[in-house]
Amino acid sequence: MTNTKIKFENVEFTYIPPSGRPVRALERLSLDVAENEFVSIVGPSGCGKSTLLYLLGGFLPLEHGEITVDGRKVSKPGPDRGIVFQHFALFPWKTVRQNVLYGLERKKMDAAQRDELAQKYIDLVKLTGFEDSWPAQLSGGMKQRVAIARTLVTDPDVLLMDEPFGALDAQTRGILQEELLAIWGLTRKTVLFVTHDVHEAVLLSDRVIVMSARPGRIKSTVNIDLPRPRNSEVTRSQNFASYCDEIWGLVREEALVASGIKT
Amino acid sequence: MVAQRKILNILMGAILPLAVIVLWEVATRERLVSPFLLPPFSRVMVRLWQDIVSGEIFSLAGQTFLRLAISYSVAVVVGVTLGIMMARVRFVRWVLDPVISIGLPTPKIAFLPIFILWFGVFDTPKIVMAIVACIFPLIAGTWSGTQGVDKYLVWSAQNLGATRRELLLHVIFPAALPQILTAMQVALPIAFIVVIVTEMLSGGSGLGGSMIEGARLADTARVFENLIVIGLMGFAFLRALQILRRRILAWHPEVLQEKN
Ligand SMILES: Nc1ncnc2c1ncn2[C@@H]1O[C@H](COP(=O)(O)OP(=O)(O)OP(=O)(O)O)[C@@H](O)[C@H]1O
Ligand SMILES: [Mg+2]
Repeated sequence: MTNTKIKFENVEFTYIPPSGRPVRALERLSLDVAENEFVSIVGPSGCGKSTLLYLLGGFLPLEHGEITVDGRKVSKPGPDRGIVFQHFALFPWKTVRQNVLYGLERKKMDAAQRDELAQKYIDLVKLTGFEDSWPAQLSGGMKQRVAIARTLVTDPDVLLMDEPFGALDAQTRGILQEELLAIWGLTRKTVLFVTHDVHEAVLLSDRVIVMSARPGRIKSTVNIDLPRPRNSEVTRSQNFASYCDEIWGLVREEALVASGIKT
Repeated sequence: MVAQRKILNILMGAILPLAVIVLWEVATRERLVSPFLLPPFSRVMVRLWQDIVSGEIFSLAGQTFLRLAISYSVAVVVGVTLGIMMARVRFVRWVLDPVISIGLPTPKIAFLPIFILWFGVFDTPKIVMAIVACIFPLIAGTWSGTQGVDKYLVWSAQNLGATRRELLLHVIFPAALPQILTAMQVALPIAFIVVIVTEMLSGGSGLGGSMIEGARLADTARVFENLIVIGLMGFAFLRALQILRRRILAWHPEVLQEKN
């Protein structure tokens, strides 16, 4: 195997709300992600998938265990680990263009180059013509595309995506999945991708991690041995279908546990 | 259609003031009230016109306006800065929190005699008084606006490489803007009232001073003339703030979803 890029070691996390009881979100979770690997995480709702990304993003204080990127401990947020949040988190007071420009403005770069790059990514997510719209004027799917462009444009080393296509219609979702495959094919970033969509996970990933119901641990890992470069063609193969079935079965078991039907 | 509706709105808004004016004019003409206590509206208007022609009213209103402009601007700049600092610097929060809790509900005008003692009777005590009176809602409003900013917005900015300072300028401040503007809309009438009242209590001309003088000289037309100018000024200021608000919050659903 190639170099380890991201390493989770015995990571635990407990939310302590100001009132009410603490919630243990992650328990003794260990995970290695290789350089340039595309890893998807699936699991029942509330099992700690977002929490996992937030810890890697450096947004939550890690109390137990260790997370490293390139051997360096994660301690604070940074543009090397670009994240697309589940609920977009666009700056409502910035237009689409200004949102996409924000990360670029934190970098040393001349203005013309910045504008050109921003436009390229706005076009890429099919928002041409909406550059000057406010987020409040966009549909959920459009907002999500802005969020994706805003993160991709900064060219982060590691890409963290929390159900980035969750609010999209099937067509746009399909288009963006292929776009992401294409971008990934070109830049070969290390990607940690959270999704509820097993089909999507198999299509995109080198490896799919199935998490257990809360407190989240890794239940199993499925290596996806499908040829690359991939496009939607691959979904018609027999292998693809059996990977989906396998993962579906694993997720279903955990979802039943999570909903209390099975223990 | 939109223009027609706008005109209709303005006309509807004018109904009540017009009715009052007509009633006022008729009541005084028919001698239902003594013209000494309430001069006819037309006489007040004639007086206003004379003072416009002579420029007298502009000099009075100008003095009041200057005091208001200085005190309000200082209060906004200092108040908003303190409010934001309270959100970011724990020490400032510790110091200011009790001060605001006491200062907000206290009738600040009670300090006027002290301020006159300290700052004399000219412009300074009036301006200081107005600042003190209107700065508390500005600090409190700004501070509460900075609370509860969506954590994902903060995280997004940090993720894209924002420094602490940039976070404050690019996220916390704009997120607090709706409440800051509301605080400004609350503070303006307070500052205006206090400027007029200090002029009444400590002389020094201006519209407030002129009204008191008019009352002493039994010149009721002048009192009402000044009152009308004060009313118009207050109306204009609040309108201006409303327009400013809509400009600044052009991105906000409040403006984007506005209906006529
Ligand atoms: N701020 C918080 N305070 C308290 N508990 C929290 C908080 N955020 C999340 N949790 C709890 O932690 C658990 C994991 O949350 P997380 O958001 O990581 O789940 P998830 O796997 O991303 O779920 P979903 O698929 O629905 O997005 C949940 O059970 C949730 O109740
Ligand atoms: Mg989640």
